[in-house]
Amino acid sequence: MANLDALLELPGARAAFTFNDRGELLDHRIVDGAEGLDAKVLDLLCHVCVANTAIATMQARGWEQMTGMQGFYPIEGFGFVGLEWAALTRGHCGVVLDNAAADYEAAYRALAEHGAE
Amino acid sequence: MSLIGELAAMPGVIAAGEYSYRGDRYVCKGRLDDELARKASIMCRATTMGLHMQAGILGGFCAEGCGLVPAHGWVVRGPRYTVCVVANVFCFIDNEAGSLDRVLGLMRERLADAPADLV
Amino acid sequence: MIRRLLALDGVQVVCRFRDDGAFVDGMGLLDVDGLRRLARFAHDYKRMVQGNADQLAMFTGMPGWTPPAGWIVRGTRMSVCSVANVVCLVDNAEASLTEVMQALAEAARW
Repeated sequence: MANLDALLELPGARAAFTFNDRGELLDHRIVDGAEGLDAKVLDLLCHVCVANTAIATMQARGWEQMTGMQGFYPIEGFGFVGLEWAALTRGHCGVVLDNAAADYEAAYRALAEHGAE
Repeated sequence: MSLIGELAAMPGVIAAGEYSYRGDRYVCKGRLDDELARKASIMCRATTMGLHMQAGILGGFCAEGCGLVPAHGWVVRGPRYTVCVVANVFCFIDNEAGSLDRVLGLMRERLADAPADLV
Repeated sequence: MIRRLLALDGVQVVCRFRDDGAFVDGMGLLDVDGLRRLARFAHDYKRMVQGNADQLAMFTGMPGWTPPAGWIVRGTRMSVCSVANVVCLVDNAEASLTEVMQALAEAARW
């Protein structure tokens, strides 16, 4: 069970959310003042992250088989970096962060600890 | 020093490169041979193209003030390595030895004004 | 010329776009704004499919995948299919995808 409230404590957090294998939004929290974000946008964002995780998985598989360089597969997370905000996902959980305040590595650690596989 | 050179010199960075959106040119510095650098640039370019299309659709639903769009880059994190792309510049990072925050921070800073029209 | 595609069973919209994604012409059950959006989507999707086909060819070392001739996205009720720079929106219950893809391949040569 994901702890979305814990994820919202990350620096620059604007939203935290969970989604299913298809990318459909299951649960979410949006902080006050996160203008332009709503459940509809998060649902589409989850679809973007699921689609790109699948593409990245294909790439990691192909790359490792082709080069023998291990360490890309299985994909642990995909991140979409927007102009001001970024969305990072791991498993079935993600956060939206303000790039100016974000600590991406801390976010991945928090997703591993508080997220949903 | 060019951004590619600066990135390639950062701790934990395995390789850094740049590709043209047309797919006809690439440069890369670091520990990937020329053929692997070409293949890495094909992969990174493909994901960037797809992501820009998706961001275009996402932007249609984002209200005023949403900082997600336009798309600026993406990050794929594997158990040992991370691939990080901003605009048309890519970077392969060793998770143990490198810092995603520093690499992405430098890329975002230096590519803040990169054109978004993919040409 | 692409008007001929609309005569096929189940084809609801047909649209042509330039290599840079600009709308050329189109007709059917979408307004001009919808046609422009479809042109843009088809252009971007074509580019994405090309990128993925390049990677498939690269990883498998198999010839024949690139350049991709076209693509189909099949939904529950509707499908979007495209060859070269022509795209169609079709009703799955009424259309024959084989017939539509053949007609699209022919239209792409016009």
